[in-house]
Amino acid sequence: MIKSIKATFLGLISLAFVSSAFADITFVSWGGAYTASQQKAYVDTWDKGSGVTVESYNGGLGEIKAQVEAGNVTWDVVDVLPDQAITGCDEGLFAKVDQSSFIDDLVVPPVSECIVPQIFWAYTAFYSKSAFPGKKPKNIKDFFNVKKFPGKRGIHTWANALIEMALVADGVKASKVYDVMNTPEGIDRAFAKLDTIKDHVVFWSAGSKPLELVSSGEVVMAIAYNGRIGAAILSEGKDFEYIWDATVLEQEYLVAIKGGNEAEALEFMAHASTAQALADQAKYIPYGPMRKSSIDIIKKGEPWFNTGVDILPHMPTAPKVLKRAIIADPFWWADNGAEVNERFGAWKGS
Amino acid sequence: MNQTASAPILTTDGIPLKVSLKKVERKNKIRAFLLVFPLLAFILVTFLVPIADMLARSIDDRQINTVFPKTFEVYKKWDRKDLPSEELYATMFFEVKNSEGYQIGKASTRMNYSKSGWKSLLKKSKRKFKKIEEGPYKEQMIAAEKRWGDIEYWKALGQMVDPTTMGYYLNAVDLKYDSSKHVIQQPENRRIYNHIWYKTFKVSLLVMFFCLILGYPISYLLATLPLKYSNLLMICVLLPFWTSLLVRTVAWMVMLQQKGVLNNLLVMSHIIGDENRFQLMYNQTAVIIVMTQILLPFMVLPLYSVMKTIPPTYMRAALNLGASPLHAFYKVYMPNSVPGVSAGCMLVFIIAIGYYITPELVGGKDGQMIGNWIAYHLRTTLNWGLCASLGAILLAVMTVLYWAYNKVVGIENIKLG
Repeated sequence: MIKSIKATFLGLISLAFVSSAFADITFVSWGGAYTASQQKAYVDTWDKGSGVTVESYNGGLGEIKAQVEAGNVTWDVVDVLPDQAITGCDEGLFAKVDQSSFIDDLVVPPVSECIVPQIFWAYTAFYSKSAFPGKKPKNIKDFFNVKKFPGKRGIHTWANALIEMALVADGVKASKVYDVMNTPEGIDRAFAKLDTIKDHVVFWSAGSKPLELVSSGEVVMAIAYNGRIGAAILSEGKDFEYIWDATVLEQEYLVAIKGGNEAEALEFMAHASTAQALADQAKYIPYGPMRKSSIDIIKKGEPWFNTGVDILPHMPTAPKVLKRAIIADPFWWADNGAEVNERFGAWKGS
Repeated sequence: MNQTASAPILTTDGIPLKVSLKKVERKNKIRAFLLVFPLLAFILVTFLVPIADMLARSIDDRQINTVFPKTFEVYKKWDRKDLPSEELYATMFFEVKNSEGYQIGKASTRMNYSKSGWKSLLKKSKRKFKKIEEGPYKEQMIAAEKRWGDIEYWKALGQMVDPTTMGYYLNAVDLKYDSSKHVIQQPENRRIYNHIWYKTFKVSLLVMFFCLILGYPISYLLATLPLKYSNLLMICVLLPFWTSLLVRTVAWMVMLQQKGVLNNLLVMSHIIGDENRFQLMYNQTAVIIVMTQILLPFMVLPLYSVMKTIPPTYMRAALNLGASPLHAFYKVYMPNSVPGVSAGCMLVFIIAIGYYITPELVGGKDGQMIGNWIAYHLRTTLNWGLCASLGAILLAVMTVLYWAYNKVVGIENIKLG
């Protein structure tokens, strides 16, 4: 009896050692439809020795910094925004990556040496067709015009993209937005424009919220992540309509956390950033791949979306959209984000 | 028996009794200590050390001093009126150019708190400085990045000269240092924290007040009803208490939003028109309503356990002696229930003041509390010094309130049961 217990015990211990030799990778992303697309496109197809555990987080470097400082890294690969990528790489939280295999294939140059490419996503204004039986809002000026289109607007609780959109609504050309934002008067101007809708806004902080707000009629228009709007139209058959004007494009990357399971993390990231993987992701969510060759794959494969419709018109990188879009400048936000967001907080609360 | 009375009493094995007793006592003490030790260690590691670490972080400013030690030596000589001398530019140049690894990244994050723009300035400079071989450096630095010629950047460095700083605390109450370390107010459009502090206390006090108003009668009923009814009522109090916080918050969102249950009922029964639906969600009102419901059990339970111990005979005696019911309640019942009231109020207020998730979900534009800003800086700006100072202020406020309460009511009067 005791012998068999001993044997089991030893067996368990050796098992523990074996499994730590092929330690799992923990992949952390934003959850929802977005993570589901990542799961199908490249987590499920990952067949190297180790397994992948997928977790969700709410963005920010707080948890990562705490893990690295405490020397107890439990996350290996994390899906981050560009300003996080810049700060995290500068502060030594992320491992450096060999970028030679994709650097010439990117739509925009990479913001740091620690990233592999993922997608473009966008802050996009949208409405429900049933809310406007007559004249429909066409551009961002209409979004900021509560006289012409009365009703509440849903906007997010932080300043990113809202500053850019407010300036375009105030008459600044999309291509000149950051020139204006570099002057203190420019920021004042954006806040003055935001003042005009202040009494008509409902704030959201979770990505699914603006869709609920518009569906339930709580607001008539809202700003949301384009992928969520697209998923609602394509998969749930909602009668939403994009306002493809002053769309603010943001980039999304993967990074490997220093001190985690780096070697395998980097291998997984290489697998997750192939042109095919990024194209496959677009089968499940209408975000724009950052690699040019992924877009070619999709173009040839249309209708590409899993329900059998063309996906390119729903992407924020479609040429027609891109013409009137703003590509968010992560360096500007890394510099000024804290200050502008504090001011935005003061504006919100006053 | 030839022992004298003054000789020490011995045990059977010849050791003085006193010594022997002490030995046993010490053994017991050690045993008791060993029993308590795991808990003590647990509290030390999970509670006191983090608090000490937080307090240390709130004044620590070495993040940058260790990266640019020479620059700061030279900086102290600068008059802070005109652009600095070539000497200061040159030391800065070399310390930026020769900085290794991630030091400069961390320093630039800190420097960016005092003046937005430092981050990209250092990042770009580090790259461009590689091409500059020999001096004089001042002109070349300004040519490489024209912000080096902006005196505001140099002035902002003045806040960071010392290895410790009160800057984070000042920041937490909308003040700041100017370039010569005088305390001044933040520019008007960046003053937010005082307003947030005011709102946090206001909401917490109102929630405490409403919990008391609503909780007192319920607890009274619970304590006085016959057992079979009071048990049912108790379940009604406890069921929501056991339900997840998130579920309750989201349920309130469904109830209170503009096209929600309550507004729909009011419109259907023609009490209000379709155009005048109440805005009960995504504002401060929503935060107060939802938090009151969520925190109500924390008021009811201590109140109930105290009221349960007040003998009903007291009230009967008072009424018997001719007091009106109101007078008897005021003079007899209420003073007896004070320990429960204090315990409930303290509990609700302390929990409310650090609330985060409910204001985040239903707070909208004017319902955000200090917890939301701590979370924001913790996650997004990585300004942990500011987080620590906000937390330390919360801690200090609670300690002062506790002290005042002890002076006025006496802590022995708190009763949880």
